[in-house]
Amino acid sequence: MKNRECILEVKDLYLTFNTYAGKVHAARGVNFSLNKGETLAIVGESGSGKSVTARAIMGLLPKNANIDKGEIIYKGRDLIKLSDREMTDIRGSDIAMIFQDPMSSLDPVMKIGRQITEALRIKQKVPAAEAKKKALRLMEAVGIDNVERRYNQYPFQFSGGMRQRIVIATALACDPEILICDEPTTALDVTVQAKILELIKEIQKERNLSVIFITHDLGVVANMEDRVAVMYAGKIIEYGTVDEIFKDPRHPYTMALLSAMPDLETDSSTELYAIPGAPPNLLHPPKGDAFAPRNRFAMRIDLEEEPPMFKVSDTHYAATWLLHEEAPTIDFDTFKQKTLEKRRKFKEKEKNNEESQKPILEVRNLKQYFTSGFGRRKLVVKAVDDISFDIYKGEIFGLVGESGCGKTTTGRSIIGLYEPTEGEIYFNGELISRGQKHKGSRKFTREISMIFQDPIASLNPRMTVKEIIGEGLKISKLYHEDEIMERVYKMLEIVGLSKEHANRYPHEFSGGQRQRIGIARALIVNPKLVIADEPISALDVSIQAQVLNLLNELKNEFDLTLLFIAHDLSVVKYFSDRIGVMYNGKLVEIADADELYRNPLHPYTKSLLSAIPIPNPDYERTRKHIHYDPSIHDYSEEEPKMVEVKQGHFVYGSASEIKEYTKSLEIYS
Amino acid sequence: MARYIAQRLVLMVITLFVIVSVSFFVLHSMPGSFINDPRMPKEVKKAIEDKYHLNEPLIVQYGYFLKDFVRLDFGISIALQPKVNVNKILATKIPVSMQVNIFSLILSIPVGIILGIWAALKKNKIPDHVISILIIAFISIPSFVFASLLQYFIAFKLGWFPIVVTTEQTLTWSKFVSMVLPILALSFGSIAGIARYTRAELCEALNSEYMLLAKSKGLTQVQATTRHAMRNSFIPLANIIIPMFTGIMGGSLVIEKIFSIPGMGSVMVEAINAKDYPVAMGVLFWYSLVGLLTILIVDLSYGIIDPRIRIGGRK
Repeated sequence: MKNRECILEVKDLYLTFNTYAGKVHAARGVNFSLNKGETLAIVGESGSGKSVTARAIMGLLPKNANIDKGEIIYKGRDLIKLSDREMTDIRGSDIAMIFQDPMSSLDPVMKIGRQITEALRIKQKVPAAEAKKKALRLMEAVGIDNVERRYNQYPFQFSGGMRQRIVIATALACDPEILICDEPTTALDVTVQAKILELIKEIQKERNLSVIFITHDLGVVANMEDRVAVMYAGKIIEYGTVDEIFKDPRHPYTMALLSAMPDLETDSSTELYAIPGAPPNLLHPPKGDAFAPRNRFAMRIDLEEEPPMFKVSDTHYAATWLLHEEAPTIDFDTFKQKTLEKRRKFKEKEKNNEESQKPILEVRNLKQYFTSGFGRRKLVVKAVDDISFDIYKGEIFGLVGESGCGKTTTGRSIIGLYEPTEGEIYFNGELISRGQKHKGSRKFTREISMIFQDPIASLNPRMTVKEIIGEGLKISKLYHEDEIMERVYKMLEIVGLSKEHANRYPHEFSGGQRQRIGIARALIVNPKLVIADEPISALDVSIQAQVLNLLNELKNEFDLTLLFIAHDLSVVKYFSDRIGVMYNGKLVEIADADELYRNPLHPYTKSLLSAIPIPNPDYERTRKHIHYDPSIHDYSEEEPKMVEVKQGHFVYGSASEIKEYTKSLEIYS
Repeated sequence: MARYIAQRLVLMVITLFVIVSVSFFVLHSMPGSFINDPRMPKEVKKAIEDKYHLNEPLIVQYGYFLKDFVRLDFGISIALQPKVNVNKILATKIPVSMQVNIFSLILSIPVGIILGIWAALKKNKIPDHVISILIIAFISIPSFVFASLLQYFIAFKLGWFPIVVTTEQTLTWSKFVSMVLPILALSFGSIAGIARYTRAELCEALNSEYMLLAKSKGLTQVQATTRHAMRNSFIPLANIIIPMFTGIMGGSLVIEKIFSIPGMGSVMVEAINAKDYPVAMGVLFWYSLVGLLTILIVDLSYGIIDPRIRIGGRK
């Protein structure tokens, strides 16, 4: 195993944070080593201690953090014992780091050229001209064109993906040996994410860098080669090569995490596997295995004693008592089987009787423009540009697209937050797109409700849970106070909370619980149609599955119709019956979920599908990301429109394009 | 840019006209007369008032006022310094106030910024607590308390500085020495304001992600702070520092009274009390003009300091 030189070693790292509530044990004995030229991926949910460990290596911990114990050995030196001044020599030139949000990690008022060369000029005293030459080379290497001109621009003149490229160039300026990437693609769109991941891999190979890649996304991990370490509650609970972790996971948490994520292959007629409960509170770290309370295979010893690292193979270790010789063998297959038994089947999705059904919502040529300025400076943003679709009763319609494609605007126009620039929206056959003043709009606002993305920002922090949930009933003035309370309590139970929660405030709940409150608030008015705007994208993987299952269950129970807006195509594919793909304010393709996945026709859909990272290393190795170039469409002569190429499968394109699409559809089938 | 400034200037002229008109009618609708000598015969009083057109309908008076106003002539004072041109009165008063205020600014901007930076860098440590307590004290204790204390202890008891400001018009060394105490008394408030603002802005900038990236590039805390955090935290600072310059002309009523400075501080109040309409109108106009110009300068300065506004607006 040690055929490669070990470059960095973290030994038994214990880290605590001093907070008002007490000491938070963020890292509890983290051990790992990094070899020269390899990529080590650290996966874990928020609060598992992965970012903190990375910050400890960089010596950039916040002021309230203490390192209680442990060593970080780099080139024979213990980084923890170094003074801040000695660390500044190591940062940048030996170990560099890039961060999650490229929008805020560049100085907004400094030209990017100066930001890249800054460290070179100050630390290595490289003359200005030479530093510039190197910066231009770096910018070219990270895939920025027009470097001479770009060199003198400011960060706000770049898109998110471009900024992350610049951050990478900045980190590479002093030729470090180790690059720590802290969720570098989490804030980016899938197609951009795919490009950035390609870039990091490329650079790693070229420069023989050692990379520590921190992420919560197992799909991204499968994409990065070499080794994976899984963190839970401040500890590494399992590590091994990518294949070992994905094909033969030994720790029940790893298994659970792998089963909880829907991918494009997941059978959408069964409930997702959801890890019960929530991660432990690290103010009072649990005794024994931290995962034990959520582990259905937990034995008594799991709750009493901390498991040691058991060796599975030379490269694969896991900390679970299940690997003890006296424990029953639970491997991934038995885990899958056992958990599958418990999962409920949804009733077969009814299809093909849609013609007989009337659509509950019809959107006709909806246009939503936002204008600013006037006269010559008038600026029109076509957020939604002429889209039409129907949603049938009882179905889940998924709307996917990248940020800024207009999917959220569509949802808001439907619920009446915006008055459409043009076009009509019919609900149950009645026109509702006349704005708030329109008589009878009250009735519709009760029948359509919305679940929002950010469960923290969308709940009023000064209102108790019962006030938040009951508000929708209160303003309609149809119910008596006692009746409202009764229904609030009932609703709380339905979404998996209890009566006792009613008098608390939102901040006392975890992210998943808050989203449950959001769902309760949306459903209490007995809506017919629920618009869910990215309801799970702010949640951790293990919590996402819980919320998805809940939504699915409630949908059947309340006979709901859902408009599910998301950017994550694998979740949408699992969750929806039909999917609409949006690009740049236009719907480019609508089809049944399976059909869209099997026979994507529009090049943008293909690109989107190819960009999704799948938690399967074999697939990831062969995956080719298709880049979408909107300029391939020539609409100068033929007017493009939405055409039904197969029953229920619509594509946007010009006549000649449609002909081609139809042809390729025949080849598919 | 030029188009934008031109637009703003036109709007400014309209605003000024509205301000002046409203003030004219408000001032003139105050009851009473500038002649309050009860022994003066009615006929004489009426004759004097007629001379200044004060008995004509308000709208006619407004017409007279506008005619002179377009030449920026506000007429002569009728009560404070009878028969002296208003602009001339202001021309003698404003420089006196300006001297004190400019020195106060020169003192308070750097001191305030340095204290703010120091507090931000030592956040939640002893220097920060000391500075924060001082800031609270300086903001909450009125300047005339400081002025009186300084005057009593330093000037009267210790005799280090003169008790009142000398009456010389030109700025000589002795005049400067006599101005030290009022300058100090005036500065405490603005030092506290600047320091508090700087501390808050810098604390935010220090916790930003670009600081993290700067440090992970290998910059030391000092380098990262001076190169990245400072500049970003100064952008919003323009918002409070630039208006301070407009205060220069104003002068402080209380401080000027305490140190017997013949400045602008009391002119406005006295003019209104004495119903000296021309002086009151003159002061109001010049103040409004300076105020509006400052707002314009603040808005334009954002573009100069922040590239996001400068370049972003050009598209």
